[in-house]
Amino acid sequence: MIDNTKVKEDVWIPTCCGQCYCMCGIKVRRQDGVVTQIEGNPDAPTGRGSICVKGLASPHLLYDPYRVNYPLKRTNPEKGLGVDPKWERISWEEALDTIVKKLKECQERDPRGVFFQATTTQASEIRFGVIGFMKAFGTPNYWVSGGGLHCGNGAHFMNGIMHVSWSIIPDFAHCNYALNFGCSKGHGAGHVAVQNATQVADARFRGFKNVVFDPFMSAQASKGHEWVPIRVGTDGALALGLVNSLINEHGIYDAEYLMYKTNSPYLIRPSDGRYMRDKETNNPQVWDLVDNTPKVHNDPSVTRVEYEDEAHEVALTGTYNVDGVDCQPAFELLKEHVKKYTPEYVEEITWVPAATVSRIAKEFGEAAEIGSTVTIETENGPKKIPRRPVATHFFRGAQGHTNSGWTCLSIDMVNHIVGAADTYGSALGLGGTVQDGYKKTGKPYQIPYPCPDGLLKAKAWVYDHIPYPLREPKQPTRLDLHDMFPTSIYNAFTICSPKWFDILERFKIPYRPDVMINFGSNSVMTMGNAEAVTENFLKKFKFIFSFQLYITEFEEAVADIVLPDACYLERFTPAVSFPSTFSHPQGEDDWGWTIRQPVIEPLYERRDFNKVMLDISKRCGILGKYYKGLNDAIPMRYGGEMEEKNKLVEDGSVEHTWEDVCDRLVRDRFGDEHDLEYFKKRGLFTWPKRKEDVYWKWFNPSRVPVYFEYFIDSGEKIAKLWDEYKGNDFFKFDWSRFKALADWYPCPTHTEKDPEYDMHTFYWRAVAHCNSLTQQNPYLDECAQEDPHVYAVQMHQDTAAEKGIKDGDFVWLENPQGHKVKGWVSLCEGIEPKHLAIAAVAGHWGKFMPIAKGKGVFFNDLVEMDLEHTDPLTFNQDICCRVKIYKAD
Amino acid sequence: MDPKVNGQLQNEWGGLIALYLFLGGVGGGAYTIAAINSFLGKSMELSTTIGLWIGFPALFIGCLFLLADLGNPGKFFLAGLKPGTSWIARGTGIISLFMVFSFIHLVLHQFTEVSKTSVGMNTIAVLGIIFAVFTIAYTGLLLSASKGIPFWRSGIVPVVFVISGLVTGHFLTIIGMVIFNEGAKTVSQFSTMALEASVVVVVEVLAILFFLNAAYKQPDSRESVERIMQKTIFIVGYFILGLGVPLVLMLILRYALNESGLNTVLAVAFIGALLGLIGGFLLRLAILVCGALPTLNMGGFQFRRIAKPKDLKPGIGLMPPK
Amino acid sequence: MPQYGMVIDLKRCYGCYACVMACKVKNHTPPEVFWARLLKGERGKFPNTMRQALPVLCMHCEEPSCLEVCPTGATQKLDNGIVIVDKDKCMGCKACIMACPYGARYSVDKWESYFPDGLPLSEYEEFAKKYWEEHSGCGVATKCDFCLDLLEEGKLPACVEACAANARTFGDLDDPDSEVSTLIRKYRGEVLNPELGNKPKVYYLAPR
Ligand SMILES: Nc1nc2c(c(=O)[nH]1)N[C@H]1C(S)=C(S)[C@@H](COP(=O)(O)OP(=O)(O)OC[C@H]3O[C@@H](n4cnc5c(=O)[nH]c(N)nc54)[C@H](O)[C@@H]3O)O[C@H]1N2
Ligand SMILES: Nc1nc2c(c(=O)[nH]1)N[C@H]1C(S)=C(S)[C@@H](COP(=O)(O)OP(=O)(O)OC[C@H]3O[C@@H](n4cnc5c(=O)[nH]c(N)nc54)[C@H](O)[C@@H]3O)O[C@H]1N2
Ligand code: SF4
Ligand code: SF4
Ligand code: SF4
Ligand code: SF4
Ligand code: SF4
Ligand SMILES: [Mo]
Repeated sequence: MIDNTKVKEDVWIPTCCGQCYCMCGIKVRRQDGVVTQIEGNPDAPTGRGSICVKGLASPHLLYDPYRVNYPLKRTNPEKGLGVDPKWERISWEEALDTIVKKLKECQERDPRGVFFQATTTQASEIRFGVIGFMKAFGTPNYWVSGGGLHCGNGAHFMNGIMHVSWSIIPDFAHCNYALNFGCSKGHGAGHVAVQNATQVADARFRGFKNVVFDPFMSAQASKGHEWVPIRVGTDGALALGLVNSLINEHGIYDAEYLMYKTNSPYLIRPSDGRYMRDKETNNPQVWDLVDNTPKVHNDPSVTRVEYEDEAHEVALTGTYNVDGVDCQPAFELLKEHVKKYTPEYVEEITWVPAATVSRIAKEFGEAAEIGSTVTIETENGPKKIPRRPVATHFFRGAQGHTNSGWTCLSIDMVNHIVGAADTYGSALGLGGTVQDGYKKTGKPYQIPYPCPDGLLKAKAWVYDHIPYPLREPKQPTRLDLHDMFPTSIYNAFTICSPKWFDILERFKIPYRPDVMINFGSNSVMTMGNAEAVTENFLKKFKFIFSFQLYITEFEEAVADIVLPDACYLERFTPAVSFPSTFSHPQGEDDWGWTIRQPVIEPLYERRDFNKVMLDISKRCGILGKYYKGLNDAIPMRYGGEMEEKNKLVEDGSVEHTWEDVCDRLVRDRFGDEHDLEYFKKRGLFTWPKRKEDVYWKWFNPSRVPVYFEYFIDSGEKIAKLWDEYKGNDFFKFDWSRFKALADWYPCPTHTEKDPEYDMHTFYWRAVAHCNSLTQQNPYLDECAQEDPHVYAVQMHQDTAAEKGIKDGDFVWLENPQGHKVKGWVSLCEGIEPKHLAIAAVAGHWGKFMPIAKGKGVFFNDLVEMDLEHTDPLTFNQDICCRVKIYKAD
Repeated sequence: MDPKVNGQLQNEWGGLIALYLFLGGVGGGAYTIAAINSFLGKSMELSTTIGLWIGFPALFIGCLFLLADLGNPGKFFLAGLKPGTSWIARGTGIISLFMVFSFIHLVLHQFTEVSKTSVGMNTIAVLGIIFAVFTIAYTGLLLSASKGIPFWRSGIVPVVFVISGLVTGHFLTIIGMVIFNEGAKTVSQFSTMALEASVVVVVEVLAILFFLNAAYKQPDSRESVERIMQKTIFIVGYFILGLGVPLVLMLILRYALNESGLNTVLAVAFIGALLGLIGGFLLRLAILVCGALPTLNMGGFQFRRIAKPKDLKPGIGLMPPK
Repeated sequence: MPQYGMVIDLKRCYGCYACVMACKVKNHTPPEVFWARLLKGERGKFPNTMRQALPVLCMHCEEPSCLEVCPTGATQKLDNGIVIVDKDKCMGCKACIMACPYGARYSVDKWESYFPDGLPLSEYEEFAKKYWEEHSGCGVATKCDFCLDLLEEGKLPACVEACAANARTFGDLDDPDSEVSTLIRKYRGEVLNPELGNKPKVYYLAPR
């Protein structure tokens, strides 16, 4: 026996939280081998010492007696919701043997039969174990289930095109007036949550106004300057109404910005809506108002890269004759196009009073202070740039609809009309993707540049749906036909269709779903109707193994083997905050590259996912390819080529441990002195952000589109391909969404005719819960119970009175398809009376998460996963529903 | 404020404290009546004796319940340390003195030949009555000193408790008299006791209505009143069965049973008194459990701690209709 | 001697529960015990509705009604104004819990795990149990002590440190130049329910 009364250990270990993808830097206290406390790491720019309620509570995640601690195998061959898997504990050897056998069988049949499903929440792990393995094994099939489908498909795509970023956010430090369309940025959930909370609180203190459009009085609405209740799913119409009101009613727009930083001046020919192109260079043309002649867009006389550059004015409005064709600048078309979004029409759709639409447009336009400038300190000395202290921002709320893509675009368009994009005080790309790297190595590097058409292009991107230019639609090879659809990453309507296999047949996909590897995601709960997901999709796999912390509803329903993963406190991750998604301080604070390190060795038989994936690859004989997969992925995702000496050895002659992989990556990015040992001591490496990377707009020669000319082409190509397969036998696509100018389209929620289904419902994020995981944390569960609304259905008291429903009553919510969920109501005033609000991914029923079980309402059973409930442009899921509400016994 | 949110009720003081308050009331009440009756001399001999026998033990048992409720009973000996402001410390003194006087009174009454009308005896009785009333009042003052429970904070609570103590004191004495009755000659004593009891019950009804009405007018304690009015133990248990029915039975005992046999008298007396006793306990219990925490005011908002929903298991519509 | 106090700026506070959790994990409070708590309020008719969160904790009253009723002298006011419970003197009568108009006091009969089914305690829960029993205890009154131990180490209370919105400021009310005094003066800090006469030392700045 060791006499450990003498060793009184009390240390704080710097690492990174992993309960949502904000990835806050933390310090973890270990006393005599036990993790006892977690705090923010003051060195981390993500929160400068503060973390959120979930991070603070996470020692329970490490020690929860209900964690999976040993490999388990299903002994009940039956699968499905509510089926007892009859788990049996097995050894790691047995588990790996079975898995490798199944994988090898699959490899022989067709390696593409492997489908990797991962959770969004552990985004930083995905970049290694998932990507490396997929490349090595040779499968293109992948998704993050509810992630993307519920969030991001619309926003990442559009914000990628407009800001090279995954989302947008006001420059809280300098913004004076913002419009919030359904997101909680700076108010608990959302992204970079903690740093944003500090910023927005400071901003509020100095008089920043946030006008919040939300069907219910969310945290942001309650802290906002004004709450404007809006009908769910109609933000696009409101945004276009604001654009119309700005341009056509108040005559407010930033001509300078539109002329030189967008494709507004590009001349469009009326015959087919395409650019007028210069015969010689094939470049789009603009009309030079000084020389009164067409010029190519990048002619030095009509371009301004920096604000103080001089250039001729170009036409934004009017009609010009070029080579005998009467053509108009794109802006003229936009200006005409949005005229139909009169305040009155907008009121009809959104239930926001016409006068409010008009007033807010005016307030926004005036607050933009078009023409005002500010001088910032750059590497090349002081530079004058526009100051636009206004911004619109949005996320999950506005985009979770069948009009997702265009809605996201329309909301951002409001910024571009007044020049409030990626400049001082304006809407910034969230997380800041533009960067020229750490001085010594020049990495991570991401400076956007113009394509020949002048539009913004990015070299490094975190996903394969490069926002611009669009991929060519191709004969599908993926199980979700993804190759055909250049504007999305994946979709649910194909794979969750009861006709999935018929579709595969028709689209000549030569293989079938075979082995599913799940890393974390609880897709039974996070996507939509649980039965459809399970029966139509998950049960189609021959074998499913899952890396998990808990036995969730997913494992219970369909997993054959569960592997006990290490949680974020028990493992190494070499790059947590990068690539630049949602884990960077917004605004001028430093860059920070964070790692994750084990604060204790994995307990019981838990093993680190990334180590196991290396092991599995080795056993499958594809280790060399795995290394190559990582070598290939790193430049794209972490901005910049690897130095030869740091590359993993691809011929498999050297076996790299996971720590070695981690070490090589950080040394490659920051030089040999910043090796894994360095990171273990500090948890992160920070370096200063250049102001011209924060406010990059007027330092970069690129433009962004207000007119999406290239969508027309893309749509025509997909439609043609679709018809070749007679795709309409399965899905009746509306290809007209592939067009150049934004519009609002109704969701089924808005077209429902049956008066019985008179209520609109939607979900929101409670600050104490992240997706489906945290309900099992007893501290967080208790905390959520402190809020009168979190586990309830929020309902307006007058509506309830009309329906004879009392506070605390149990009710059913039933959608027109007959899917229903049960919960109890909490009555309030802070909700639009025709709406019902539900929080979180709650209502767990799994036996193995007893704290979570039975708390809250399982909203997603109301979510349909057919094309009718999908945005035909970005394949974002529709997550607003029309329901009837009635008392349950 | 969200008017539909139920405020949280205190849940620290429950049944044991209710028993303590109740027995304090009964003990003090029974003693008081006994002492008063002792002035009436021989005619009330039985009730005096019984009352004296009840007073001390009831209180003593009550104190045991208090002890049982203490989180750290081992430290009870510190209870009297700060009588300057603390009602518990004062109460400890009052109760001790009451116990002393009631004990002396009992001993003198029962085991000595000291004249029932002697100055000494009367002095003891008067002192005893004073401390008995203090004791009952103290159980109310303990509550009304609770700044954290607006419902209790009212000055009427000690008054209600004193009255209720006298009522329940009567009832317990009556029960004792039923058990130790001395045949037909006790009937007249029952009649006197019944009249006394009826009078105090009527006073109690008035006092309780006055109390609830006053509390309802206070926004802070309104919720408690609403809650107590929905409590079966209060409306049925206390108000109807614990006050109404005993009142009727006492009146019957007094006015309608003059010609009836002893057994009828005993039965009516017993049932009425027992119901009244239980009622007295339920009154205290109801007042305790309906003690809602105060509303905090800031920035024009009213904040309250919310009551946890009784059942956090709504279940899910997992299986859609086929 | 400083007179410690806190200022909570409701305009900054966005109701995130971080203070609640920071207190819970620092003090390892068992189920249903929230020395730091967050209340939620709503007012006005739709659409002119407002919602606001109110973080509460022990107000460390100048005139503590909890201290008044304490029979044993367990509840004490230190020279620096902090109101504490000496667990060795507390007999657990709970009179102070009833006397505190701010609902700041809690008592548990016995330490209970958060997890159902009576599983063996995790190492973390073992630690929490031990910590609670040593520092606060069962059967006695417990409450916020302004993180006295951290103050002695020259640190700020856990809830103050945790607040991302910087809504909580801690300091010496007697020092007219301290941040707390300045905030109270400049933004007209108010206390909760002043009519109660407890003279709290936790001040609030108006939400709007
Ligand atoms: N009703 C409703 N539905 C929603 C949402 C909502 O707010 N409400 N949100 C939607 C959105 S935007 C998203 S992104 C998706 C998210 O959907 P998912 O990606 O499925 O995410 P989670 O629900 O967080 O599930 C995460 C799972 O990962 C496991 N996990 C956590 N950490 C680790 C780890 O370190 N290793 C391993 N192996 N597993 C781990 C957890 O146990 C949990 O089961 O859900 C969508 N669905
Ligand atoms: N605490 C916490 N933080 C999280 C997460 C979490 O689960 N919990 N999840 C993470 C993930 S995966 C994501 S994607 C982000 C998402 O972060 P957000 O996008 O901010 O997420 P939500 O809270 O779902 O949506 C924001 C608001 O939109 C409102 N809303 C719903 N429908 C509509 C609508 O049609 N129009 C308008 N205008 N408003 C609408 C909701 O009421 C809600 O208040 O948060 C991340 N951070
Ligand atoms: S915001 Fe997300 S990453 Fe940051 S502490 Fe909270 S849960 Fe952890
Ligand atoms: S941590 Fe700060 S912002 Fe969050 S609830 Fe507490 S006081 Fe309010
Ligand atoms: S808030 Fe309550 S517990 Fe704290 S000092 Fe004041 S009365 Fe005592
Ligand atoms: S519970 Fe303890 S601290 Fe509170 S009043 Fe009683 S003895 Fe004093
Ligand atoms: S000061 Fe310390 S004990 Fe008091 S509420 Fe804050 S964290 Fe809890
Ligand atoms: Mo998400």
